[in-house]
Amino acid sequence: MRSQKNIHRLKNWALTGIVGLLVSLLNPVMAQQERVLIPAGSFHSILPEVKGEPISVDSFYIDKTAVTNEDFLAFIQENENWQREKVPAVFTAQNYLQHWQESLNPGFDKIGENRPVTHVSWFAANAYCSDKGGRLPTLNEWEYSAQLMDFESIQEMNRFSTELIGWYSSVDAKNTKAVGSTQIQNRHGVQDQFGLIMEWVEDYKPIIADELSLDCGTVGRLQQLGNIYSYAASIRYITRMSFNPKTTTGMVGFRCAYNIDHPESSSNTQL
Amino acid sequence: MKTLLILSALLLSSLNLVAQHHHGKDATLKAEKVSEHSLYHLDAEWVTHRNESISLSQFKGEPVVIVMFYGNCTQVCPILIRDTWRLYSALDKSMRTSVNVLAVSFDTENDTPEVLKKYAEYEQLDIEGWHFVTTKDVDIRSLAMMLGVQYVKKSDGEFAHSNLVTVLDPEGKVAVRVEGLNQPMASAAQSIEEMIKSISIQ
Repeated sequence: MRSQKNIHRLKNWALTGIVGLLVSLLNPVMAQQERVLIPAGSFHSILPEVKGEPISVDSFYIDKTAVTNEDFLAFIQENENWQREKVPAVFTAQNYLQHWQESLNPGFDKIGENRPVTHVSWFAANAYCSDKGGRLPTLNEWEYSAQLMDFESIQEMNRFSTELIGWYSSVDAKNTKAVGSTQIQNRHGVQDQFGLIMEWVEDYKPIIADELSLDCGTVGRLQQLGNIYSYAASIRYITRMSFNPKTTTGMVGFRCAYNIDHPESSSNTQL
Repeated sequence: MKTLLILSALLLSSLNLVAQHHHGKDATLKAEKVSEHSLYHLDAEWVTHRNESISLSQFKGEPVVIVMFYGNCTQVCPILIRDTWRLYSALDKSMRTSVNVLAVSFDTENDTPEVLKKYAEYEQLDIEGWHFVTTKDVDIRSLAMMLGVQYVKKSDGEFAHSNLVTVLDPEGKVAVRVEGLNQPMASAAQSIEEMIKSISIQ
C-alpha cells in the first residue's frame, strides 16, 4: 500500500516535471524573463498632480531585471525589421545598437550577454515589450516600484543615498555590469532600478515637462521631496526630458511591464 | 540663364516620368518602397468607428490629417476636433475627397468603435474620409511618440494631453504641425492643397 502511494507520488513528480519541461520548451521567453507582481499602492512623486497628494498606481507585473543583450538578440532574430541595417530611420537615431560588433553578432565576449541592452530607442524598446505581450512600464509605475525598498536602519538608508549620488554623477556607460549585479532590489525582488542604467518608460516625457527646464532652480525644486529617492528621481526626470523617442545612448536600456489581466502573465507570478 | 533653368527643369521632369514609368511596371517594388522617415512603417491594425480594420499605410499617396483626442474629454477635445474640421473645410471642396482625416483616441478603456461611432455622429463628422480609430495601447503610444503628442491618464480618469493637429504628406512624413487650440489653419490648408495638386500633376 505504502509503496503504491510512493509510486503514485513518483508518477506525479515525473508528470509535473514533464509538464514543466514542456511549458519551458514551448515558452522559452517566459522562462528567461522573470516577472514580479507589484501590488497597487501610492507614492509621493516629485511631480505630483496636486501638490502633496500621493499618486496611486494599480497593480502590474514588471520584469525582475532589465532586458539583456542576449534577450534583444533573440528578438531581432525573430523580428528582422529591428536589425541594425534594416530599421527605418523614423524609429531610431543612427547609433542604434552601435556597440554590437555586427548586426546579428553582438560579440558577447566584449559586451556581455547578461548585460542590459543599451543604444536602443524608445520605439525599439516599445516594440520588444509589445512582442512579449507587454508594454513599457509607465513613468509612475517605474518610480513607484523603485521606491518600494526596505532599509534596516537610518544608517543603511543614508549609505544608499550617498551611493546613489555617486552613481548618478558618474554613470559609466561603457562598462555596464550584468543585470542583477547591483544587489539593489525592491521588497518584491525587482532588481537594479538604481545603479545600473537609466530605463525607458512608456510616457518618459511627462506633460509637465514643457514647463520645466534643466536649470539649477528646477533641480532644487524637484529635490524638495526630501526623501532618499528624491535626488535620484530628480536626475532621472531631468535626463528623460532631454530624450526624444529616437534617442539611443549607452546609458539607456529598458524592462517591460504587463497588465494584470493579461492571461499569459497570471500563470507566472513570482512573489 | 532662364532658358537653361527651364530646360533643365523639363529634363528633370522627363527623367521623373521615366522613373515613374519604370515603377509602374513593377507594382510590388513601388508598394514596398516607403520613405525612411514615413510613419507608415507603423504596421499596426486599427479599427474605425465603422468597425473596419485599417492600417495607416493604406492612406499612402494622399495627404492625411491626424488628431489625437479622447471621447470623454468634454472641454478641450471638442475644440480640437472642431479645429480639425476648420482645416478640412478650409480646403477647396473638390480636394476634400483626396484627404483622409484620422481622429485617434488614446482612451482604449472607454472609446470602443461603438462609442467612437456615437461620437462621430454627435459631432456630425460621420462623413466619408473621416475615421475615428482605436487600437492597442502600445500602438497608440507609438503613433503619439512619432507625432510628438504627449498624454497621460490622471487618477481621476481624465487625460492630460497635448493639443496638436498634424498633416502627413503623401509619403507619410510629418509635413505640418499645428500646436495649440484655435490656431489659424490657412497655411496648413494651403500645404494640403499643394500636395494634392502635385499628386494630380504626376
